[in-house]
Amino acid sequence: MAKTLELEFVTEFGKTARLSVDNPKEPIDESVVKAAMEEMIASGIFTSTNGNFASVKGARVIDRNVTEYEIV
Amino acid sequence: MAQAVVTASKLRLVFQVGMDDEGKPVLKAKTFNNIQKSAAPDQLLQAAQALIGLSNDTLSNIERVDNADLLA
Repeated sequence: MAKTLELEFVTEFGKTARLSVDNPKEPIDESVVKAAMEEMIASGIFTSTNGNFASVKGARVIDRNVTEYEIV
Repeated sequence: MAQAVVTASKLRLVFQVGMDDEGKPVLKAKTFNNIQKSAAPDQLLQAAQALIGLSNDTLSNIERVDNADLLA
């Protein structure tokens, strides 16, 4: 079970940009995630084809489950 | 004089995810593209720390990867 935390930002031009973090700390504390995202925006290093990160849009955890079947 | 012009910057976080049979650390890297070329080390560190705070993985190293064009 591989979980990733996907962080969604709004860029200067109003588009969405995403960053993902593997193996997130759980349970997810919304205020901690928000603070970390704001810190990332404040650092001002992230950009995208749609401009720099401007505000926080949201966050979600994606749980990927793979079941392998051996088909003979 | 030859010049190196940075064309792309990346932030690379190296995590230690365990030990192998010989006791050597097993590393896993996560790369973030689309980093401002002008980013200062302080800014990169600030963003990296915010990202690391959201993950359960143990950090081993924070790296900056620059690609540069060489011009004569």
